[in-house]
Formats: sequence, C-alpha cells, structure tokens
Amino acid sequence: MTAADSPAPEFAARNAGILLRVQGLHKRFGGVHAVRDISFAIAEHAIFAVIGPNGAGKSTLLNLLSGIYRPDAGSIVLDGVDLTGLSAHRRVHHGIARTFQKIRLFRRLSAIENVVAGFHIHHDIPLWQYVVHGPAFRRNGGRCRDEAARLLDFVGLDRRAHIPAGSLSYGEQRMLEIARALATAPRLLMIDEPAAGLNAAEVEMLLDRIQTLRRSGITLCIVEHNMDLVMKIADRVLVIDYGQYLFEGAPAEVQAHAGVIDAYLGGQPQ
Amino acid sequence: MSSLKPTRPTPARIKSGSTWWRRTALLCVAGTIAVLPLVFTDAYWRTNLIICALNVMLALGLDFVLGYAGQLNLGQSAFYGLGAYVSTLLIMKLGIPFWIAFAGAIVFSCLAGIVLSLFAMRLRGHYLAIASLGFAVITYQILLNWISLTQGPLGIYAIAPPPALALPGLPTIDFHNLANLLYLVAGFASLSYLLLDQLIRSPIGETLTAIREDEVSAASLGINCGAWKVFAFGISSAVAGAAGCFYASFVGTLVPDAFFVTESFTILAMVVVGGMGTLIGPVCGAILLTVLPEFLRSIGDLRLVVYGVAVTLVVLFMPGGIVQAAQLASARLQRVALRGIVP
Amino acid sequence: MAVVLQQAINGVVLGSLYVLVALGLTLVYGVLVQINFAHADIVTLGAFSAYFFVHGLGGGYIPGIAVAFVVGGILGWAVNAAVFAPLRERGSELLPLIATIGVSIAMENAMLAWFGPIPYAFDSPYSSEVIRFGGTFITVQNALIISVSVLTIGLLYAFMKFTFLGKALRAISQDRETAGLMGINPNQLVMLTFVIASALAGMAGAMLGPVLVLTPFAGTSVIVKAFAIVIIGGFGNFDGTILAGLLVGLIESYTTQYLGPGMIDIIVFALLLVMLAIRPTGLIAEKREENV
Repeated sequence: MTAADSPAPEFAARNAGILLRVQGLHKRFGGVHAVRDISFAIAEHAIFAVIGPNGAGKSTLLNLLSGIYRPDAGSIVLDGVDLTGLSAHRRVHHGIARTFQKIRLFRRLSAIENVVAGFHIHHDIPLWQYVVHGPAFRRNGGRCRDEAARLLDFVGLDRRAHIPAGSLSYGEQRMLEIARALATAPRLLMIDEPAAGLNAAEVEMLLDRIQTLRRSGITLCIVEHNMDLVMKIADRVLVIDYGQYLFEGAPAEVQAHAGVIDAYLGGQPQ
Repeated sequence: MSSLKPTRPTPARIKSGSTWWRRTALLCVAGTIAVLPLVFTDAYWRTNLIICALNVMLALGLDFVLGYAGQLNLGQSAFYGLGAYVSTLLIMKLGIPFWIAFAGAIVFSCLAGIVLSLFAMRLRGHYLAIASLGFAVITYQILLNWISLTQGPLGIYAIAPPPALALPGLPTIDFHNLANLLYLVAGFASLSYLLLDQLIRSPIGETLTAIREDEVSAASLGINCGAWKVFAFGISSAVAGAAGCFYASFVGTLVPDAFFVTESFTILAMVVVGGMGTLIGPVCGAILLTVLPEFLRSIGDLRLVVYGVAVTLVVLFMPGGIVQAAQLASARLQRVALRGIVP
Repeated sequence: MAVVLQQAINGVVLGSLYVLVALGLTLVYGVLVQINFAHADIVTLGAFSAYFFVHGLGGGYIPGIAVAFVVGGILGWAVNAAVFAPLRERGSELLPLIATIGVSIAMENAMLAWFGPIPYAFDSPYSSEVIRFGGTFITVQNALIISVSVLTIGLLYAFMKFTFLGKALRAISQDRETAGLMGINPNQLVMLTFVIASALAGMAGAMLGPVLVLTPFAGTSVIVKAFAIVIIGGFGNFDGTILAGLLVGLIESYTTQYLGPGMIDIIVFALLLVMLAIRPTGLIAEKREENV
C-alpha cells in the first residue's frame, strides 16, 4: 500500500505504458455468445470504464478478466504476464483484484475481519510460527491490524470496524468490498457497478476515493451503468453491446459517437 | 480525504480473548484433568472418561474441517478405524514400536483424508458429504470383510496398552493403570485442542473461515480454496487417526463394529450440538454426549433418536449450539445484573 | 446364458427401483440444490407401511404400494415444511444438509426402537408365480416392479416435459429468480417437488420390501447407491439418472452373481470416485456455471 503525494500528471508522464492487454476474448454459454471478440488495452494509472446496456456482457467480461470464467478464445496479458490460463486465485498474486456486482462480503464477519481476509497473499510468517505464535507472527498481526484500520479509514468505515458486514448499509457494504479488495495490494482494481444503489453523497465520496486511488498508483477498471459517473472520472471508455466491441475512446468522443447513442443513450445526446 | 494516511491512530481489536483469560482457562483445564482420576476411582468411570477424551479429539478434528472450513466430512468413523487398525497391525504384525506406529497411523489417516478430499475438491459440498459417507461405508465393509488382514468380526485380541514410560527421576509410568492412560489420552486431547486453536487464531483460521463463508469471494482474494480444503481435511483425519491409535491400545480388543457409520453421525451430533466453528463447543458437545447416556440409561435404544432430534432442533433454532446458548444466557444475566445495579 | 439373462432381469428390476429412489433425490436437487438425507428413510418407511397394510391389515399388495406412495408424500411434505422451508432464508448450503442428517438419524433409530432389528418377511403374493419365456423366467413380482416403474417414470417424464407444472419445475431449477418473476410461486413448487419425490421413494420402498431384507436399515443400504446414481447420472439430470440407475442395478446383480454381495458397495463406490475424478457433472454432462 503506497500513500503517494505526487500529483497525477507527473505520474502519468512517467508511466505511460499499457498495464492490461486483452485480445480476441470469446465466451459462450451453451448457445449464447456472452462475449464475442473483444479487444482493448488499459494504460497504467488510467481510470478505464466499461459501459453498455443491461445484458451487454460487462460482468461476464469482468469474470473473464478475474478468472472466474475461462475464455473460449483470446488472451489476457497483465504487464507482460499471460493470465489467460491462470485460475482466479493465482491472478491475485499478479496484482488483479475485483469487487462484485452482487455484493459478496463475508456477512457474518466484522468489517475489519473482512479486510484482514484480503491480506491472505501478503502474510509473512514462518511455518512453525503458525503453531507457536512467535515474534514474526505478532509483527504480522500488528501490521495487518494497522493496514486494515488504514483501509477502513480510507473508505470511511473506521467507526464501523467491528460491525458484522451483513449489518452495514448498502453503501457501506460497497465501500467495504473495495477496502477488502485493496487489501490484496492490487495493481489493477476492477470495480463492478460501484455506484449502483448509492445516494448522491455516497457517489461523491466514491468518486473522490477513486481519484485518490489513481493518484497512489493503482490502475482502475470500472464497469458502470451510470453515465454521469463515467463521464466525470474516466480517462477512456469501452462501450460494449451484445457482448461485442462497439467503441472505445475518451468520454467526450463516446458521447458524440452515433453508434453508442443509438445503442445506449436512446438517441438523445447528453 | 486527499491521502491514504489515517486521520487518527486506530488500534483495531480484531480478536477478543486476552492472554490472561486464556492462560487461566488453560490452568483450570489442566487442573481438572489432573484431579479427575482422583475423583473417579472406579474402572468404569475412568473408562468413560478415556472415551470422552477420544471423542473430544474426534469432535475437534471434525469441527476444524466442518465448523471452520465448512466441509461436511462424514467419514470420521473411517479415519478413526483406519488409525486404530493401522497402528495395531503395525505393532502386532510388524513389531513396530508403539510411538512409531502411532505416527504411522496419523500419517495413513491423513493421507486417506487428503486423497478422499481431492476427489471432491473442486465441487460443491454435497459431493464431499456423499463421497465421505460412501468412504465410511466402504471402509467399514473392508474392515469387516478383509478377514486375512483384520480378522473381520472376530476382531484382534490382546492389544497391549502403550509401553511403560521410564522418565529419569520419576517412577515408571505403567499404562495398564487406567489413571495413567487417562492422563495420556486427555493430555493428547488437550494438545490437539491447543494445536488447532493456535491454527485457528492465525491467518489460517481466517482463510478457512473465508472459504466457508464464500468461496468465490475468497478466491478473489487470492485464496486457493481447493488446496486449503484438502489441508483442513488432512488435519481432521490426522487427529481422528491419532484418536484411533489410542482407542485400540486402550480397548484391548478391536472389532470393526466400533467404526460403523453411526459413529460419524454421533461425532457430527457432538459438533453441531456443541456449536460448530467454536472449538470449545464441540469439546463440550463431546463430553456431554459421552457422559449423558450414562445418566439416561432408561432411554437406551432411543439415545440416537435423541441425538438426531437434537441435531435437527439445534440447526433450526440455535445453530450456534451450546456455545450460542451460553452466550445468550450470559448476555441475559448481564442485563439482569445491570438492572439490579442501575435503578 | 440363462444365468446371464436372469441376472440381467434382476439388474433391470433393481435398477428401476433405484431409479425411482434416485429420481426423487435428483428432482429435489434440481429445484432446491439441496439433498435430503432422510430420503432413504422415507423409502424404508414406505416399505414398512406397505408391509403393515398387507400383513397387518390384510390389504392387497397393489393397494399397499398406493399406501406407501401416500405415506411417502406426507413425509416429504413434513420434511420440507419442517426443515427446508424455515432454513431457506438463512442462505446456508450446509445447514439444511445437516438438519436432514439429524432427521435421518432420528427416523432410523426410532424405527429401530419400534420395529426391532430382526428382518421382517415381506411376502408379496406375486413372488411365487412366474412367467416363463425364452428359456428363462421372471417372477410376477419382478414383472410388476418393472411395469410400475416404467409406467411411473414415463408419466413423470411426460409431466416434466408437457405439462405447465412440469415446465415450471424445470424453469425453477434453471433460474429461480426469473421463474418467480413469471408468476410461478417457487415455494409451492418446491413443496410439490418434495411431495412427488418422497411419494416415489415410498412407492419404491413398497416394491423393494419383498426384494430386500426389510429392517430399519433397508433404506441405508440403498442410499449409497442412490447417491452414487445421482452423481454418476448428474445432479438434476433426469435422463442421466435413469441411465445410471439401470447401470448400478446391473452392476449389483452381476457382482452378486460373480463376486459376492460384499463387493457391491465397493465397486459402486469406486465407480462413484472415478466419475468424480473424470466427469463430475455426470454421464450426460449439463454444465452449470455458477451465477456470479
């Protein structure tokens, strides 16, 4: 976890490379082509948005990237590493983390316990100290608690650390999922419909946090339905419909694109 | 918020249970065990307590894989039996010293558990439940029918207790003496508890709990659910194997009927009634369900009916078992006490 | 050759009964994604209720099968109402399974206390008559079993495929939420499925009574095979279950003939493990991607 203070432009200039390259992704379920020949690239430290009407295949795409589904064809390369054949849990080691559209928190565990679960791949304890809890064990525990507290504070849940996740409000649960995903120290954080069900104030906080995350060096891929949000923060936008690539470009370009307007905005330019 | 630095220090308390409390509880338990054979001087009750200790081990093993990893292992009776027969055969047919046979039994049961869980690793819990049940049935049949190896229903006779321990400066500890055997088995049961408790209170416990709560979620955090489920299974069957070894050396005559499938269900009842996923709950459940039949002699055959009904009722109305009931009771007592103090 | 044919007939007889039992399990799994561990005990109680109807009350054998059918249905209603319905909101996959194990233990041992461990001689009036054909013969009892089973399975198949309720059941097993949105009440349908499944089990028990050793553990001897069939055939898969059931029935009869009865469970279990290892979705694979 890096708390960076450098402003965005310098960062972007220094790291103009591509972090994630997706090529020719195909996925079908039975007779349905959920995702058909999708290719795109996400630049490092960018905020990349994926939009499209309901049922366009956005969540399927996310599931393919995170490893829940295996693609029938195509490749997914993260910073030079081919992730395509890797299982979901292995991809986390390479720096991909995600949240879920239908919130999947550990409802019976407290907020902080949820976040701590995210440190799984970062524990630094010699094997024997799992049985006899020695100094490295305690150090690790302290580190986890501090990091978890920091993350909860970041998403505004510091006062709710010990509340069972299932008892949190919907907005709080969404933010908790993000905090938990951040615990894995990802390079690419994929958020699935983060604004769904949030009120205006919560959306504002979400926007702010996303900006902060980018400034600290994390690349973000946001699947979203809410065009306002996307236009406000995205650097580039990928539009998909019926599982297929429709258009990719800067937000302003997307708004002006005729095909997008037809498929998605209902023929009424914003 | 413009950075990720916290605005104030937050000492988060994740796990309750201060060291003082746990050390005191440990001393109390050690003290109780030390005193037991002095209170119960007859062979009958000492035998019961030894069985109690064995059941505690079995219940602990099951809770680790069921209560924490969320995997329904119905094969504990098989791993118990394998531990018993493997150690006995190693000792009596190959002349292997007791403690090495003990280790052998643990390794064998552990491997059996690992192999079984590998079959159902990637699948939903139902598959594992069924496969483990099938495994329990098959193991019993093999123990019963492979007469050349196990002597079948006739059983294996004259199994010796663990060899006497000669520690420097102390009188030789002879395990024909039930009190000494009780100390040994209870000691190992306590050791099992401590070991599992340490694992649970480490990141391993968090990992297993995550798997239990939501595997997809857990995988998105980098947890290799399949591997950890196999691990939990291996630990669970290893503990059962150890218990089996002690059982054989204590009972003297080993018959397959001791490892019929009903044994798996009894252990399940102990864990569920005690409180899944608490470690201490299954200990209480094991003690309760071992000792209770002694007081309910009149029920006799209906004992298992009571267990079955108890399991169903607990799942429906108090899924946390005895532990949950105790927590609710103590919370209520606290409220009553406060009302008395604060007018 | 006559022996081979004879065993084939036995295999089909056993197989068709196993199919009836397994279909119940697979139907319930299809709509609930749950297994009712007490299913086997419903089979046993079906057998006992038919027994007491025939030998205790002097009723006919075929009406006895109908009685077992009804008893099974009532038990299914009871288990669903008492266990699955209340636990549905909890959202745990494990708790209902454990609860049905509790019910199963309670039922089995209650029967043990009530009926005792000594096998009951369930004599069907049709056991002794035979129909001869092609160098071999089939008892009327077995012919009856096969006919009733085939008829029942056929009716069930038609029900699932052609009636509205049947289609609704299939809709629910594929996508519960959407089915609910289309005006189908999932809870009522689940109850219906349970009742049908358990009624089938009871009926199978009545027909198994004269064939098996009738003790309170009669159901248990069937359960491992029934589970194996469901896994081999594929959970929720109708056709696969029929295929697997017949397969297991044939395996049992040929194993008994050539290797001895003790090996049956071991071979069936080995087959189960092999299926889990190479093709866990069953013989006729039906992929079910997890809904994330």
